[in-house]
Amino acid sequence: MFFNLLQQIASGVAMGGIYACLGLALVMIYQSTNHINFAQGEMAMFSTFIAFVLLKAGLPYWAAFIATVAFGFVSGMLVERVVLRPLKNAPELSVIVVFIGLLVGVNSLAGWIFGHQLETFPSPFPDKAPFGTTLVSAHELGTIAVALVVVTVLYVFLRFTRIGLAMRASAENPVSSRLSGIPVSRMLSLGWGLSAAIGSIAGLMVAPVVFLDPNMMGGVLIYAFAAALLGGIDNPWGAVVGGIIVGVVENLAGTYVVGSELKLTVALVVIVGVLLIRPSGLFGRKLVARV
Amino acid sequence: MSAVPVSPVPSLQARSAATAPMPSASASLDWGRLGGVLLVLAIAIALPFFTSDYRLFQATMALIMAIAVLGLNMLVGYNGQLSLGHGAIYALGAYTTAILIDQASFPWWATLPVAGLVCFVFGFLFGWPALRLKGHYLALATFALALATPQLLKYKLLEPWTGGVQGIVLTKPEAPAGWPISSDQWLYGITLAITALMFLLAWNVLRGRLGRATIAIREQPIAASAMGINVAYVKAMTFGISALYTGVAGALGAVAAAFVAPDSFGMFVSVFFLVGAVVGGLGTISGAIVGGIFIQFVPNVADQISKSAPSAIYALFLILSMYVMPLGFVGLLTKLLRRRRRAPR
Amino acid sequence: MSELLKVKNLEAFYGPTRVLQGIDFHVAEGGITTILGANGAGKTTTLRAISALIKTRGEIWFDGKRIDGLSTEKIAALGIAHVPDGRGTLVNLSVEENLRVGAYLRRDRAAAEADFERMYGYFPRLRERRAQQAGTLSGGEQQMLAISRALMLRPRLILLDEPSFGLAPLVIREIFDIMRRINREEKTSILLVEQNVARALELADHAYLLETGRTVMSGTSQELGANEQIRRSYLGF
Repeated sequence: MFFNLLQQIASGVAMGGIYACLGLALVMIYQSTNHINFAQGEMAMFSTFIAFVLLKAGLPYWAAFIATVAFGFVSGMLVERVVLRPLKNAPELSVIVVFIGLLVGVNSLAGWIFGHQLETFPSPFPDKAPFGTTLVSAHELGTIAVALVVVTVLYVFLRFTRIGLAMRASAENPVSSRLSGIPVSRMLSLGWGLSAAIGSIAGLMVAPVVFLDPNMMGGVLIYAFAAALLGGIDNPWGAVVGGIIVGVVENLAGTYVVGSELKLTVALVVIVGVLLIRPSGLFGRKLVARV
Repeated sequence: MSAVPVSPVPSLQARSAATAPMPSASASLDWGRLGGVLLVLAIAIALPFFTSDYRLFQATMALIMAIAVLGLNMLVGYNGQLSLGHGAIYALGAYTTAILIDQASFPWWATLPVAGLVCFVFGFLFGWPALRLKGHYLALATFALALATPQLLKYKLLEPWTGGVQGIVLTKPEAPAGWPISSDQWLYGITLAITALMFLLAWNVLRGRLGRATIAIREQPIAASAMGINVAYVKAMTFGISALYTGVAGALGAVAAAFVAPDSFGMFVSVFFLVGAVVGGLGTISGAIVGGIFIQFVPNVADQISKSAPSAIYALFLILSMYVMPLGFVGLLTKLLRRRRRAPR
Repeated sequence: MSELLKVKNLEAFYGPTRVLQGIDFHVAEGGITTILGANGAGKTTTLRAISALIKTRGEIWFDGKRIDGLSTEKIAALGIAHVPDGRGTLVNLSVEENLRVGAYLRRDRAAAEADFERMYGYFPRLRERRAQQAGTLSGGEQQMLAISRALMLRPRLILLDEPSFGLAPLVIREIFDIMRRINREEKTSILLVEQNVARALELADHAYLLETGRTVMSGTSQELGANEQIRRSYLGF
């Protein structure tokens, strides 16, 4: 009984790692543009399909992984340049509509190119977990490891490199950054590229668990939103903590309380709850609107 | 009509607004517009006399979609807020009707006001706290609502009412005994009457106290509040009315399709309504008709190209409209007509 | 002395509204010029125009080359550092990170590191708070930080927007003393926008008076300081 609980917590943490990655991507874009990228999930799904095609063509897994992440990076930058930049001064509602358009567009593009049938997607991790343990599967352990690596690399990059600092500065105060010579729009593209790259990693980790199809990321996106909001939409590390909490709660609630059919509702409740009770999340900055 | 910014404080940048305003509260009767409306009405009334029953059914659905889109447009136009979850409200209206007919033996026409009321209450209660949420946060919350709806509808504990995955089957209403018209013609006639009534009401509400209050709130919420307008009440009221409209549409939709099932109410329904609103003209009344027709007939045509074609077309319209015609077809038309009127120099 | 910055018939726009009606002025190499005027005269707008933060028309010459039409980042790279009104502090970064942002364009690592020390030398209080979040600094400290951030660029010209705003007189004196020192030691030219006319005329050698987007008076600081109208309207005696 207790072992079962531990198992559920462990898989919750693993899924949480995926939500954390996607949530991180969402927060990065929110920080630099004050927009929520509703299409983040679909972009990740599309990259995962690219990986699928590469793997089918015979490429070894980690080569396909790298190629996919690179594809994600480039496509993220392209989306920013082509779709978002012209909307720099548009009202918020227009931008939301465009994001939804992007969501639908990428989804239908994937359906058109790759078809709608469910595909199985391989996991790079061995079948048996280390030490033969049944507490976690190898894939779950691998997912946690990958998520940890992603978060750590991102942290080091943002905190300790010159470009990372420039990205943080651009997100925080674009005018002051430009006055110091930082090419803010290039930083924005970079941010989008990074977010999309992280998103594709999330997609690659999720696909072996659920089946690969154009609608794969819909639910995952909602969990990522819940994670980002819970952690504080302007705090990337909050998204990580939020992701783990959401992953564990979703799994436990699904197993012990409401049944797996209502899992999305749990996410909905988290989102609405956070927005109503404490919109800045656990670790976000409290925003005071000056009247 | 000048473009009205969506944010409460008009900013220098928001001039290219995605929302066209509702006609100003002091809009006097514009004979040109009235002529246009009467023409459209005449065509609509004449329709049953020269089209097949099948086409008439599609026209009925188009009208129903128009009412649903109008609900969304009222929220955008009045409150300046965007909902990505109006599909959930549509589902609520549809299921209310279906359950009342199936379990409580209500006559179908009696379920309409009940569905409207249920959705109004839901919208009012949802709208009260939602007013605090900034644009994209509300979009996010409603997005989550829309995504969670099919799951909620399939929930085992609710199955005795909702019929679970199978849904509920209804019987299509027949014309009253002795009338020489088909059930499709009957349904179309009723729907047309309801549509006309609801659009008229929408236009009227705007010119009344509620409409003026919402415009005041949209423009300068702090000043409005200082003048004694209860901002929370007005916003919740608007949300409620918006939900009422889409809920009634849902009810009608359930009756027309004679069927409700969880998988017909996924995220895509909310996206349809958004597309309809955007194409017709976000936040406008007349745009809702254009939008409703658009989302009803585009899948029919595009489906023949490919299964993904309708979504692709929707995506294109959503994205392009924000660049090319931020005020939708209606806005474009208005701009063109205005230019022609000014042409002789 | 040559003209480092020269502005001819400069117009500036906020959207469709023309805020600067075509002004002329210059800053001599190594000199300190100040632009005075009441609120809304267009002083801050002038600095924003030079940094290409807003739409402009007219000619802006820097070191003999036209810079109007260049991007803000490019102008910074040419050696014009702008300390914006309100300080422009990057509030969620640390003090040291703020300085690093200022050093973004520097290719010479060692000299840049040395410059950090130099800034701490000018403003010891910043050294004490180097790891602190910049948003927690007082107004005066943030002003010092903003100036240091600009100096990290090793600029030839500093645009200073209302440095005295909201600061206690003692702090203002400290800051203006440093500015004088920097001008003398580094030969950095300064274009100062100020509402505190007395202080500005004390520091600068040349001055312009702006009124609703037009220059209405220009001359040396002594000339303007002695002027009857200025003394009555702006100096209060």
